[in-house]
Parts: sequence; C-alpha cells; structure tokens
Amino acid sequence: MLEIKNLNKVYPNGYHALHDISFSVPQGEFLVVIGLSGSGKSTMLRCINRLHDPTGGEILFNGVDTTKLKGSALRKIRSEIGMIFQHFNLIPRRSVMANVLSGNLSRTGIMKSILGIYSTEERERAMKYIDIVGLRGKEKNRADNLSGGQQQRVAIARALMQNPKILLADEPVASLDPATSHSVMQYLKKVNEELGVTVICNLHFLSLVRQYAHRVVALKGGKLIYDGKPLEINEEWFKTIYGEDAVEVTIN
Amino acid sequence: MQKKVAKVKNKNVQMTKAFILDVLAWAYMALVGYKVIYDKMILDNRYPEFSWKQPLYALYFGVVIAILFFFTNFSLGKGSLGLIKIRDEESATAKPFALIGYLLIILTFVTGFYVSQVSLKEFFSAQGLEGAKRIFTALFHPNWSIFEQGLFAAIETIYMAFIATAIAIPIAFLLGFIAARNLMANNPVGFFIYTAIRTVLNVSRSIEPLVWAIIFSVWVGIGPFSGMLALCLHSIASLTKQYSEQIESVDDGPIEAMTATGAHPIQIVWFGVVPQIVLPYLSYTIYRWDINVRMATVIGLVGGGGIGNLLMQYQGQARWNEVGLLVILIAVIVWTMDWASSVIREALK
Repeated sequence: MLEIKNLNKVYPNGYHALHDISFSVPQGEFLVVIGLSGSGKSTMLRCINRLHDPTGGEILFNGVDTTKLKGSALRKIRSEIGMIFQHFNLIPRRSVMANVLSGNLSRTGIMKSILGIYSTEERERAMKYIDIVGLRGKEKNRADNLSGGQQQRVAIARALMQNPKILLADEPVASLDPATSHSVMQYLKKVNEELGVTVICNLHFLSLVRQYAHRVVALKGGKLIYDGKPLEINEEWFKTIYGEDAVEVTIN
Repeated sequence: MQKKVAKVKNKNVQMTKAFILDVLAWAYMALVGYKVIYDKMILDNRYPEFSWKQPLYALYFGVVIAILFFFTNFSLGKGSLGLIKIRDEESATAKPFALIGYLLIILTFVTGFYVSQVSLKEFFSAQGLEGAKRIFTALFHPNWSIFEQGLFAAIETIYMAFIATAIAIPIAFLLGFIAARNLMANNPVGFFIYTAIRTVLNVSRSIEPLVWAIIFSVWVGIGPFSGMLALCLHSIASLTKQYSEQIESVDDGPIEAMTATGAHPIQIVWFGVVPQIVLPYLSYTIYRWDINVRMATVIGLVGGGGIGNLLMQYQGQARWNEVGLLVILIAVIVWTMDWASSVIREALK
C-alpha cells in the first residue's frame, strides 16, 4: 500500500539527509525503523505525510504519488495518514475530548470547527477511540495535565479519529519510562492487529523492536542498510547499524 | 591560501573601522572641548559663534591626532575592537587606550551638566524656595469643591483608555499573525507582507502618542476622541508587536500535529497556535489598558480630553489648589489600575 522509490531529501542548508531510499510496506504490517539519532528516521517519516518536502524520488500511497500533491489534495492524503510524536504534541489547555476531535479537522468545516460545533456522530466516534486507548472517564480532563503515557494515548486516539489507513509513529516512547513504553506499544499493537491499521514506527530500543515489529528497516547516514526480520539482527548487524562501540540496552 | 586572504581582508576591515572610530572620538573631544570647556566655561561667552567650519576643523584635528596615535597603545578604536593584545594577567581597563575612554566619558559628563543648565544656585535661591513653598502648600490643600468636575474628567479618561484598548485588540489580533515571522516568512509574498507590516508598525510606534494626539486634535478637533485615536494607534502598534513575538515563540509541536491531520491552514492556526497564546495575550492586553490610562492623563495635556485637559487648564491659570486635587485623583487612578492589573495578571498565570 506504501511504496517508496529512490527517496532523496536535501535540506536548504545543503545537508543530504536521505540517499535513494526504496522500500515498500504491505497492508497491515507493523514496520519498525531503527538507526542512530540523525540517521534520517524522522525526516523519512515526515516525508511520507509531507511535513517535509522530499527533493527527489516518489512515494506511492495506494498508487498516488504524494510528492507532487498540493493544497486540498495534499490535505486529503494527510487525513488518511495518522501521526504520533515523541513529545505528544497535544493542544495545550484543551480537554482530552477536544484533542481527539481535532483529529477530524479535515472533515469538519472551518467555521464549524472554530465555533466548536461537532455532530453527535463525531462525538460518539471520539468517545469510542478514547475508550479503545483506555481513557474513559478522562475525556473532560485537560490533556496537558495527564501523565506522559496517557498523553501519548490521547495522541493515538486523535490519530485514530482520522480513520487512518496508515499510522506513523515518530519515537513514540522515547520520552516515556520503560513500563509506560510497553503500555503505549501495546496500544499500537492493538491498533495494528484489531483495527488493521498499517504502522510505521521509529524506535530506539531493540528489545521493543524484537517484541513488536513484523519487519525492520535500518537507516545509517541517510541510507537504507538493513531490511529484514527483527530476529535476524545479530551482533554483527547491530555493530553495523549502531557503530562498533555501541552496547545494547534492554528495557523489560 | 584562500582562507589566508580572507583573514587578511578581515583584518584590514577591522583596522579601518578602528581608525574611523579613533578619528570620530578625537574629533568629538576636540569639538566639545573647544565649544563647551573653552568657549563657554573659560571665556564665558553667552552666545558663542557657531559656524559649520568648527566641526570640520575638529574633524581635521581628529584625523591628525588619530594618525599620530593609531600605532600606539593609545588607540581607542583598536583597543575596543580587540586589536591590541592584552595579556591574561592584565586588565583592559588599565591599558593606555582606556585612559582615552575615561577622558571621553568625563568630557561628555561635563558637557551634559552644562547643557542641562544644572545650577545649585537656582535650586537653593531664596526666590525659588519661596515659589516651591507656595506651590507645595497649595498642592497639600486641594480644593475639594471641584471634586465632581475632576471625577467626571477622570471617568472620561478611564473610558477613553478602555475604548482605545478595546478597538485595538481585534485589529492587533489579526495583524499579530501577519507580523509573525514563523507563519509568514516561508514564501516570498508572505515575507514581503511581513516586512511591510513590521515597518509600518515600527514607524508608528516610534512616534510618541503625545505627537499623535497633537496630529489628531488638529484632524478631529480637541477632545477625548483625538486622545482616544492617538492611544488606539499606539496600542495597535505595541500590541501587534507583542502578540506577534508571542506567536513566534510558540511550540511547533501542535502546529505539526494539526498539519499532519490534514487540517486547513486556518484550522492549523486556530488549533495549533491560538490555545498557546491566549493567556499571554490577555496579560499583555490588560497591561496595555493600564498603560493607556496613564498615558491618557498625559495626552490630555495636549488637548486629548479627560483629566489631563482639566489639569492643563488650572495649571494655566496658576490655580494650584485645584491642580492639587487633580494630582491626588490621578495618583489614585494610577495606583488602582496598577494594582488591579497586577492582580489580574497574577491570577492569569
């Protein structure tokens, strides 16, 4: 469903972040992207929903090349791609409900959304996703008063509100403690298995990768150097991806 | 090789700058020394002659002296640009060039005193003290019979400031987005609009509201309306600047998240930016009202209506008891507004 061909990204300051990246993601897969900080993981993810503009190559999303889209066509494609972030990026001072509803902005009229007029159907759907991420009863709480793990679950519910075909997760557990990390990963797994949403997730911890990923790609210096099963990453591959001095840290 | 050339070129630029600084410093000292110290203080010329030849000669003098001293440690320009080596155990303030700096400051200080006509003789003269006693006595015996008149004028001032602020808010709110670099400077058209708005705002802000009040009092006639317009214009310019700076410092995260949902740019601003700026906006706005009340008093002095206008009238007639009452009223208003605005702003945090 997602096919990336010779993706290149050169930043305006001349930094070449991605070199000829090609891979494809079938429907329903849980794909994890690994690599050191600065290897281009975030940039690649942001090229998929065009938060960054690629400078070369194609990204085919259900057969449509997203790299050429503009205006409302681009917004339409973005609405089909959910995204969650390392720092959650919730709207501060707003309730959990308001945050989840904001996932539906592309389908709500501009005036309606500004005046806060949402249909019963939209509210019911928002409630359903709040339920799925286990936050029932918290919908009226201010989102920025929740714990980190809960905030990330609100972000997942917001992404689900978009009814996404694919979910991008940019280091979703990097600012969470180990126990909470597992809980958030469990919800991502649930979204992937029960709702059938394809997930592309950037991760740092190999222990999480082995536990949740169907398939792994690794980036190094903006190049794709590994594409395979998580359990096939041995000591040798680990040193190649993370460097000679790296030592694996596990979280349980 | 190329680097070396650049380095030499850079050094030459620094040397030229240092030399120009030296010339200007010496020329300034020569001119001030001649005009103030020699002409006024030593010869005590009441109306010293001035011709444009004098600054010109001072400049020639500056060039000559600068050339003489440029290659010594007395070059202030080289010293201040760091072209004179200072060893770690030495202090820059003890170097010869620092002496020239001190001389510059002392000369400016003396000149300042002279130009401001500072005179202890005037301050403590019998006649002067008599006058001060008269006005203070009157001020401390305010004429309460004009209390009502003063109160109504004060109310006019407060409402004038309020309306000026209220009209400024929506305009500044919209302009704030257009004047925010992070929202506008992504494309050439946006950058042009951003620059144009910023320039207009900076110019209108650099003209004091007092001057605007004079302009508007000619335009719409003397009275509260002209004062209100002056305050309003100044408030728009100031609030827009503060608002846009607030927008420029928002966290990009929510903006990114809203963009990723496929939201329209207007929705991105409303949901990604606005919730982050509401509180600081309120705080700035209340503070602006507080400032406007204070300014409204001053603006009344030049015909902007309100209590300042009244103050001007009584002051013109030398009716100090009435002035005394008005001063008390103004003090009470300013204290109250100051207190109220700080309480509200504290509560908003």
